[in-house]
Amino acid sequence: MSLEALRGALGADAVQEHPEASLDGVPVPASVRPSDADALAEALRVLSQSDAAAIVRGAGSGLAFGNPPRRADVWLSTEHLSDVDVLDADEGVAHAQAGAPLAELRLRAASVGWDLPIEAPDEAATLGGALARAALGPRVHRFGPPRDHVLGLGVALASGERTRCGGRVVKNVTGYDLAKLHVGGCGTLGVIESAWLRLRPLPETSLLLSAWIDGADAGFRHAARIAELPAVRALALVDPHLAGRVDASGPESGQWLAVVELAGAEPEVKRAREGLGLAGAVEHGPELMARLRGVQCGPPPESGLRFRLVVQPARIVAAAVPLARAGAALLGYPGAGFLFAGFPLHAAADSNLVDSAWRAVREAARAGGGSALLESAPGWAKSAGDVFGEPCEATPLFRALKQQFDPRGTLNPGRFAGGL
Amino acid sequence: MSPDPQLTDALAAIVGRDACLWRPEELFVYECDGLTLHSATPAAVVLPRDAEEVSRVVKACRARGVPFVPRGAGTGLSGGAVALEGGVVIECSRMDAVLELCPEERWARVQPGVVNAHLSDVARPQQLYYAPDPSSQLACTIGGNVAENSGGPHTLKHGTTTNHVLALQLVLPDGDVMRLGSAAGWAPGYDLVGAVVGSEGTLGVVTEATVRLTPLPEAVETLLGIFPDVVTACRAVGAMIRGGLVPAALEIVDRRTIEAVEASVYAAGLPTDAGAVLIVELDGAREAVDQDVHRVKKLCAEDGAARVELARDEAERQRFWRARKGAFGAMGRLAPDLYVHDAVVPRTKLPEVIAEVCAIGDRHGLKLSNVFHAGDGNLHPNISFDRRDEDELARVVKAGEEILRTCVAAGGVITGEHGIGTEKQDYMGLLFDEADLDAMRRLRAAFDPDGVCNPGKIFPTTRFCRESDPKARGYERVPL
Repeated sequence: MSLEALRGALGADAVQEHPEASLDGVPVPASVRPSDADALAEALRVLSQSDAAAIVRGAGSGLAFGNPPRRADVWLSTEHLSDVDVLDADEGVAHAQAGAPLAELRLRAASVGWDLPIEAPDEAATLGGALARAALGPRVHRFGPPRDHVLGLGVALASGERTRCGGRVVKNVTGYDLAKLHVGGCGTLGVIESAWLRLRPLPETSLLLSAWIDGADAGFRHAARIAELPAVRALALVDPHLAGRVDASGPESGQWLAVVELAGAEPEVKRAREGLGLAGAVEHGPELMARLRGVQCGPPPESGLRFRLVVQPARIVAAAVPLARAGAALLGYPGAGFLFAGFPLHAAADSNLVDSAWRAVREAARAGGGSALLESAPGWAKSAGDVFGEPCEATPLFRALKQQFDPRGTLNPGRFAGGL
Repeated sequence: MSPDPQLTDALAAIVGRDACLWRPEELFVYECDGLTLHSATPAAVVLPRDAEEVSRVVKACRARGVPFVPRGAGTGLSGGAVALEGGVVIECSRMDAVLELCPEERWARVQPGVVNAHLSDVARPQQLYYAPDPSSQLACTIGGNVAENSGGPHTLKHGTTTNHVLALQLVLPDGDVMRLGSAAGWAPGYDLVGAVVGSEGTLGVVTEATVRLTPLPEAVETLLGIFPDVVTACRAVGAMIRGGLVPAALEIVDRRTIEAVEASVYAAGLPTDAGAVLIVELDGAREAVDQDVHRVKKLCAEDGAARVELARDEAERQRFWRARKGAFGAMGRLAPDLYVHDAVVPRTKLPEVIAEVCAIGDRHGLKLSNVFHAGDGNLHPNISFDRRDEDELARVVKAGEEILRTCVAAGGVITGEHGIGTEKQDYMGLLFDEADLDAMRRLRAAFDPDGVCNPGKIFPTTRFCRESDPKARGYERVPL
């Protein structure tokens, strides 16, 4: 496309060319950085009218997630939309623009006594990016998915119209809950420009612990008991391949690392600490949580495959054990039913390895009564199939939604489930 | 209006003669839901037994160009279950089976006609319950709860229906049957479960829901704060939210409601000279609950409570709740009709908004009382009136509009749990502009491009454009 129309609409500074850039092997020759929400909408209007395609990005930390784009003309960045304009300590809600980094939002919320219940493995991630891909972290155990904390959204549609859904109040059934479509919609139905969030009270106290456990079976059984304690805010199991990157004190051969974060009222946390039953548990500072998130991030896409499985928690061991046997490096959030399975790749494009990894992952997801997707992989490895897994029966509805919201295929074309 | 015999024959052939109603005396009960001011007579009512019958009913309606409306127990309060335009009501009460209970994974798969409270009864032996508890939970059904994204007193901590639905089976408006979501809580693609919950039966007919069950808490404590007036009670609520407390429930009952309750069969022994009572329920780990009980007592005392009582046992706890849950029934003593309003404001705005709501009632000379989910900022101003008095009816409508405008001006919304239905569709413009509404229409069009599934709801119409004129809103069609 001609970039002149974009420069004319947004100013020359908002558009940069970089002929060498690409995503999954598809060139993305320019970047657009709108200065505010109106400029974002205007950029979309121009792109849509030009039949151009935009790859929407925040900090870029989640770009490995998604199918290869069918086409791409520009990166459309929300990085300049980074205001946190409401932190209502009396109400426990916040309003921030999509480009606000999660880490900053978390710090600012904490400074007024509130906890941000939205996480991403990479805390450099922006709020918009984390919501668009429904990111999660170890505290998913307590907080659940990000959809549950979004009160309202500002969304720029592909047509350039600015829209709102939801509101700032904590209970609301006024009209359709469109926010549910945009959270996890990977920016394929609209670009999140801002969000109202419900915050949670900071706990009176918290405690971060780790302990070594012999084997997957014992680890998951023990984790299931720990998961029952109301004081648990985060619960992770890390397999022997990865455990040393979280806690360098071990491991002995074959040992898994359990990480437990307790948070709440002091007496509750104290009782939970006594009831954990974790022999040799060691207390840690927040850096352990950062390392755990780092393990969830996994290695760079070019060096391996990383799958995310969501299974039914009581069946997680049925999914984890065969995956471990297939050589996957595993991180689990067992109370919430999440498993992250990594398969290292050799330098050469080994499609057999990709196929066998997918087979193992699909089998594990079935055994766990859930599903799986390929979160991160080099572009060539995504040709084995849809990174969102097998098509589901709702695919015709997904297609109808895409047609309604983005008929010209302006937003991240090809990147979503079913190649939408 | 006489029924189309071809339509009723086709429907009866699907569901059986005993499950297809078309005589005027049979249809009468389906003319309205809990919002008795809006009514319309359906062409027919069917009571299917499963998804296959629902699918065939939908296809039969489609073949004849007849719209259809899913209906649960009819306890909704926004007109959502009323069949406009002579449509067919698909009443789900015969689909009332708990199909599967999985205590290990904490979910249940149920048909839409399962009564909300019945599900908790079934789950309780497994130390589990279904958390969303609308006030009508002894009658309302899971299908209706899904349609309206129902809340209840305990949503402050435990969330509304949308936070508890994992998967759905839906008969689409073209009659196809589709499964959405997963018992694991996540499925690839757009979150269509999230989009369908709260869509007021306009995107299809829910024929199965897989819902999350919640472990019974280790400890529950219930407190009753006695306050001199409702505004002071609201200030205490604000102090609790500001202080980081997340009680399971924070409910306010005002003086007029207390008087009605105490004069009724629901009498709970509340002090009738109290300006308002605040019910605070705390649940969770024993230590945390004990600690929070002290904090609640302290905050209530600091914020003007005359006294705070802690329920000594389950019987006393039930007594406290009787004052809250019996409120709507007790209102029947005040007047023949009750308009239950529903709006939400930021909790910080509660004191000034509740004062203004009361002033609106007074200005219009109405019997307005308040019983509401204060912790969520979810107001329920209740106006007792007599619809036969046209002047009073006009004032009820006018006051309702002023209440909604007041709430929106305070940063709030026009419904927290009752839905838009036909009641508030013409007030959608207070919150959303045409682009916002058009985005909602896009979702509607993806599911129901022909607009045959529960038409005439949610979106503004020109029909009710003169919202302050009761006759323009169709009230003259209401049977007296």
